Amino acid sequence: MLRFPYRARPRKMSRQRLPEEGIIVGQEGRLQRLRQLVTGLVRYERIETVYQHCDETRGYAERLIHTAIRNGDQHQHTMEMADYWLNEKDLIYKLFDVLVPRYQNYSSAFTNIYRTPIVYPGRGTEMGILELKGNPWPDVLPKQRDNRYVISNVLLQAARKDYNTSKESRKTKNELNSSSENSET
Amino acid sequence: MAASMSCKNVFQKISSASRSNLKRSYCQSINLTNAEVRRKRNEIFETEKKRQLGLITRMEKIQVDVKGPPEDCTLIMNKGISTPFNCSMHIQELLVNRSALALVNGEPWDMHRPLKEDCSIEFLHFLDEDPRIVNKAFWRSCCLVLGHVLETALQNQYYVELCSFPKPHLQSGSFVYDADLKLKDWKPTTAELNCLTRVGHKLHHLDLKFERLEVDASIALDMFQDNRFKSQQIPFIAESSGSKVVVYRVGDHVDISSGPCIASTNQIGRFNVTAAHQIDTPDYGKLYRVQGLGLPSQVMMHYWSYDILRRRAGKFNTAPLPRLKMESSPQTDDNNTEIST
Repeated sequence: MLRFPYRARPRKMSRQRLPEEGIIVGQEGRLQRLRQLVTGLVRYERIETVYQHCDETRGYAERLIHTAIRNGDQHQHTMEMADYWLNEKDLIYKLFDVLVPRYQNYSSAFTNIYRTPIVYPGRGTEMGILELKGNPWPDVLPKQRDNRYVISNVLLQAARKDYNTSKESRKTKNELNSSSENSET
Repeated sequence: MAASMSCKNVFQKISSASRSNLKRSYCQSINLTNAEVRRKRNEIFETEKKRQLGLITRMEKIQVDVKGPPEDCTLIMNKGISTPFNCSMHIQELLVNRSALALVNGEPWDMHRPLKEDCSIEFLHFLDEDPRIVNKAFWRSCCLVLGHVLETALQNQYYVELCSFPKPHLQSGSFVYDADLKLKDWKPTTAELNCLTRVGHKLHHLDLKFERLEVDASIALDMFQDNRFKSQQIPFIAESSGSKVVVYRVGDHVDISSGPCIASTNQIGRFNVTAAHQIDTPDYGKLYRVQGLGLPSQVMMHYWSYDILRRRAGKFNTAPLPRLKMESSPQTDDNNTEIST
């Protein structure tokens, strides 16, 4: 169902410190953290956190959008899921009114994930960026210039093509020669 | 004798003021030399250019919308005098140095060609997103430079007559000039090719402008009277373009080409003459097909890869042979600059 490679086992996510409830550890803490991240992703459409957390969140967020697209907002189970994963309840409207129409005809994943450089000096944490596709922010990666038509590349490409065709013709000629020798013997 | 006759005709065309100093230079010898012929062509080009400038008696202003980068702006320029080059001078030195071609109202336009009316301008260079038009202009300009090299490099006893060059085709790996070098069964050695290369490379440092001039067929005929190929081609070219022939000048070298060309020889970074093959043409007899390879100074390449290209450029270029007929005449073919890179 998910359109990207994902990890089969759940990751252990470290303890969460929440303002009201104090420190929560274990499965409970993991889910708290994931709900926080999914909510943030739907709210801001791009979040930046530890890469492992991004990757873990990605599956849950995509799964939520998938079920929303498949079942619509009249489906009880889907509404329960949306209610569970989105801490801020106004985002339920956003899910069905904005994200579902946006991703209805997608044949790829709905999110992008990127690694960001490790900050030095620092704790050496691998950070990442998770974003919803079609978001209004500027691109994470700079636009790649198309340098196919730069004169040097045009010339080298032609030379490459020339070399390959000459190699092909040499090969066929050799084959022909060897076959004729065989027939003579 | 025919040569001295043709020289006489030139005298009638050129004003009497400059007659005294021209007389000595043209009729020194019966055998034509490239230096003399080039001087003559240059004089005619100069007088024609002056005449055309003299036609503009009143300075009129035009509005030129320049599209960035660095930013969009509007310039007020002189009609028929200001060129895209002048526009770029008002904006930034970077544009002055790197712009090879301008797009005037979406049409490729030489940097040194005067603007005729209100227009919008974009400046093009070799590292643009899509530099295909500039690449073609570069290849064409390299052909002109190759012609320049052939005419100037050989000793005076060899009167080189340039014939024509085919449409620029980058995939063939080399630019071509077909010319009658008056050499019999010449197989150039590496040293000879290197000498030719060096003559061409000097032009990079001279920073010569590519000047465009539209002249009447009769004047073009005067210019190329001493070249038996070009004088045959000119009527055909004039026929297809309404009695006008487009002529380019690089330094003191004048040649026919429909253009557009790049701004200056300074933009040709690497230049190599790679081979000269003998060809048999139906209309012009035996000629030499001289081939070369060049890269803009803006484009860097490792010598190892350049060497691959250079070796490939030495192989015989199978571009169509020069023909007198209009369909395949290179200068006229050049007119339709469709993009097929």
